[in-house]
Amino acid sequence: MNEQPMSKVLVLDNSPEHARLIKRFCDQNNLSALKVRKDAVTSVLRTNIDLGGILYSEDYADSPEETARIALEIHGARPELPIIIRREKRATLAGLPDSTQRVFCGAYVTSDMSALRKVIDEYIFCLVYPNALLRGIAEISTEVLGNLFKDVKTSFDTPYIVHDRVIFGEVFSLIMLESSWCRGYMMLQTEEESFLNLVGRDVEVENPPNFRRVNDLLSETTNMIWGGFKNRYIGDTGSATGTQVQVPLIVNHKHHYISFGTSNPQLCFRFIMEDPLTTRLATLYARFVFNLSWSPEDFKEFTHDSGGLVESGAIEMF
Amino acid sequence: MAKILVVDDSSTVRDEVSTFLRGSGLDVVTAVDGKDGLVKLEADPGIKLVVADVNMPNMDGLTMVEKIRGELKNSTVNLIMLTTESSPNMKERGKAAGVKGWIVKPFKGAAVLETFKKLAS
Repeated sequence: MNEQPMSKVLVLDNSPEHARLIKRFCDQNNLSALKVRKDAVTSVLRTNIDLGGILYSEDYADSPEETARIALEIHGARPELPIIIRREKRATLAGLPDSTQRVFCGAYVTSDMSALRKVIDEYIFCLVYPNALLRGIAEISTEVLGNLFKDVKTSFDTPYIVHDRVIFGEVFSLIMLESSWCRGYMMLQTEEESFLNLVGRDVEVENPPNFRRVNDLLSETTNMIWGGFKNRYIGDTGSATGTQVQVPLIVNHKHHYISFGTSNPQLCFRFIMEDPLTTRLATLYARFVFNLSWSPEDFKEFTHDSGGLVESGAIEMF
Repeated sequence: MAKILVVDDSSTVRDEVSTFLRGSGLDVVTAVDGKDGLVKLEADPGIKLVVADVNMPNMDGLTMVEKIRGELKNSTVNLIMLTTESSPNMKERGKAAGVKGWIVKPFKGAAVLETFKKLAS
């Protein structure tokens, strides 16, 4: 496995003169460059996933106004993606209109790519992942997949860094990761049919697996990878909250289905908000799912005495 | 002009608080989490007051204020927490780090403006 993660960047730059330098930079800096025609940008953004950032250019369109308009449109569609602009003279955002300056996180010139390296490190590769972690996750996961999907060969790509927040596939799982040195989530996502195709090999025709089987299998896969991660990188003393019990959440957005890993009911509240002037309504549903523990006999209510009544919104001075 | 740093991972809160404070004649800088807050504070010695949430990704607000006093060795900037948290333990931790005031959300600008102006001056 290549030790360093890579990242996919959209290259919106029509200059053949700079193309070679940009490509070389990408090859040398763990970036996978995806070139896009101007008329395909919107559709690519709609369909392309797992992007780390965008390399843009000052002369991308036929006029500065059009270049600015496209940049604003891209930023509006994907505000989480860092956009870095190539300029002709100086590696700075100075001189760009205020409205467009804010959409770029940095600038570079091809005569000195160190500015681009700096911006890439700050905005794309902004978290450093220990090599042992990268190797370990790949090992744990391939072992789990090998155990759950017998007779299936598993391989993996170089890990990659994403700033996109687009979800894809049809079903995903979520589980919390919590230790003294890291806290966050693991998410597994896949497409139902392709997963089912692997599952359906040795199953009776009368009871073919359906989406619930995918959900169960994804849940168990998540559980096992999480367990492997926990055993190797978290240990007994790692939990910040004193408990390490977690169950995966499964969301199947194709079937509008969510599982909290329990058959416990969900306590629901429906709030209806109405604008009395326009009579427009919005409905908000709150669901309380006590899937990890529920002991109503120990129910208690905390009242915090601040030595005097302090309303919410008021300041309590120390 | 008195400058305030507002640190909150919620853009809704950052917008609400900074719009109110700017409308009241104060200069505002914003940050999206504790790490960003430290960077912005260190870069701008004109910031006199930090208003920070507690529950934020990357670095929570209480860790941030402890680092302001510790690693940044900044003992002069005033610190206020604006948070959903109201537990005595959290308040004690904030007090120990030099936090001057604690506001339980929601933010009510009129109730806190004079105090903010005084602490930011």
